[in-house]
Amino acid sequence: MATETDTRLVRDRVGTRPLVVAFIALQAVAFAGAYTYGRPTWYAYFMVGSTAVTAYVLDGSSFTVATATVGSLLTVALGLPLFLFVARQNPSLVAEKATDPGVHRVLYLGVYGPLLAAVLSLVLGVPLAHLLAEGFPGQPFVESLVDLPLVVPHSVAGILILFGFGQGGAFPQFSVLGTMTGMVLAMTFVSAPYAVNATRESFEAIDNRLEYASRIHGANKWATFRRVTGPLALRGMVTGGVLAWARAVSEFGAVAVVAYSVSFFYPLEGGEVTAQHAPVFVYNTYLQGGLAESGAVAFLLLAVSAVIFLIVRYLTDDNSATGGMP
Amino acid sequence: MNGLHAGVESTFTADGAEAFTVDAEIEVEPGESLVILGPSGSGKTLLLETVAGFHDHEGFVAFDGRQLTDLPPERRDFGFVFQDYALFPHMTVTENVAYGTQYHDETSDPDALLAELGVSPLSDRYPPTLSGGEKQRVALARALAIQPGVMLLDEPLAALDVPTRQALRDDLADVLADVTSVYVTHNRTTARALADRIAVMHDGRIVQTGTPEDVFERPASPMVAEFTGANTVDLSSAPSLRRLLNGSASPEGDGHAAIRPEAIAFGDPGDVQASVERVVREDATNRVTLSFDDVTVTAFADDPPSIGDTVGLRFPMDRIHHCESDSLDSRSRRL
Repeated sequence: MATETDTRLVRDRVGTRPLVVAFIALQAVAFAGAYTYGRPTWYAYFMVGSTAVTAYVLDGSSFTVATATVGSLLTVALGLPLFLFVARQNPSLVAEKATDPGVHRVLYLGVYGPLLAAVLSLVLGVPLAHLLAEGFPGQPFVESLVDLPLVVPHSVAGILILFGFGQGGAFPQFSVLGTMTGMVLAMTFVSAPYAVNATRESFEAIDNRLEYASRIHGANKWATFRRVTGPLALRGMVTGGVLAWARAVSEFGAVAVVAYSVSFFYPLEGGEVTAQHAPVFVYNTYLQGGLAESGAVAFLLLAVSAVIFLIVRYLTDDNSATGGMP
Repeated sequence: MNGLHAGVESTFTADGAEAFTVDAEIEVEPGESLVILGPSGSGKTLLLETVAGFHDHEGFVAFDGRQLTDLPPERRDFGFVFQDYALFPHMTVTENVAYGTQYHDETSDPDALLAELGVSPLSDRYPPTLSGGEKQRVALARALAIQPGVMLLDEPLAALDVPTRQALRDDLADVLADVTSVYVTHNRTTARALADRIAVMHDGRIVQTGTPEDVFERPASPMVAEFTGANTVDLSSAPSLRRLLNGSASPEGDGHAAIRPEAIAFGDPGDVQASVERVVREDATNRVTLSFDDVTVTAFADDPPSIGDTVGLRFPMDRIHHCESDSLDSRSRRL
């Protein structure tokens, strides 16, 4: 049996990256094989087993083997549907959907609407985040209100919005039901907490004394925000905006209730068109066209989401920002 | 009056800590350096920050007869140097130094200041890439650039290593020579080197104000004596010293006697015979711990006795300062 020292030597000699690449390649080959044989379950067993063996070889402690093995069950549950989903796509159907102008409208709306919601979340959320970071009387109440959308079922959030801004709501002459405004509002409702909280964290990370230093040397509160706290919190704002955007892209419940389908200006056709938010459209296609057809649309949406995911990872992983003291 | 005059009272509450009240009055003449000397937790930083306008307070802050009490920090015309620099990490050294110049009519040239402080080569660097001493020089330049009416300095040397601290202390002495300044520190060497006057702070209050000589030679209370490094002898435990004092013009022997270690001389016949408890080598001399009666004192000796020896000690009468035991509770003494 290999001792811990031995295995560490092996790892040091080979390096981590080749091991990771080899492991992923092994998984890919195993999945391709199992799928070709029509036995994807075999791959599930293989993934759990290979993880346990790898953990044993690399570390050897029973604790690590146990955590890796149990952990791999979750990655199977998350990963297998994704792999099968990609593997089982019908390329011609995907191509057909990818060239469908109707789908283009949906994808455009699915990125553009959330972008408006993210901007709105930031414009309204940054001042609130600054206040929350500084602290004020009654803060817990406001915090609860901000975090409410995180726990409220999103269909309920949609109903709340209709009560607030629909017929007979705050603006009697105007209802947001089925409008672009309603859709952006529904998205903002569910995504604003992300914008506020991420921005707030970055404000909180700034040392008070940077603000003191700015003030004592002549800058008032506006100038201090413009020259010091704002720039130092910029990364947090970007992160918050991107998180809010990503959250809005994936929103289904609230949008389905408030704005099932909306008309909006579509620059590619130079006029007003009507479409549904992408997740709603996928659900709709599933109900009307079945799994295969909705799968093709879902595949395109997944690709868009993957790009967004990468952007999020890129923007949030960078820890070069020094909000605190150098 | 001209100069800075502030009497402030402010109560601070931190999570999980008891409320702490700062209640102090300071006066600084134009061009004078007032050092606020006090142990950690005595409230000296809070006092300085309150004078700067960072915290709400009762009382008043006035400069050259102008009331600043209700003005925000940016309109008080103060410069501030922080213990941990507080340089803007996203700006270059030059941008940091020039930060406040656009808000003031009379300013100094940032480049000239950087040159004066010996850090010109750093002008395009960002603060996270600088050493502690470099950062503090830049922070000092930033505060000087706006030609403030008063410089407020909060332990600017505390975070630096010893050689850097000594070099910067010398430069600070030059820079602060003509500047009205309030300098907060717990370091008595720094206090003595930089102060025109010293205010000793304890538990949120000023317990003694005076020239460095006053504070070091004639501490107002045993607490001040101890904190300034003097021997504090409880006379009821030291009959031989009490007898000595009674024989002189000094008050009769109750309370405490404060005497600086460097004032105690070795030699026979001594005023008292003491036994050597400990000898610690210091930079240029030895710190010797001695005991007689029921007390211990420290003295300095270039040529130290051996541990266990009995030696004669001489106490120059004019260097023994009598402080009343009453003041042991360090009851506040306002100026």
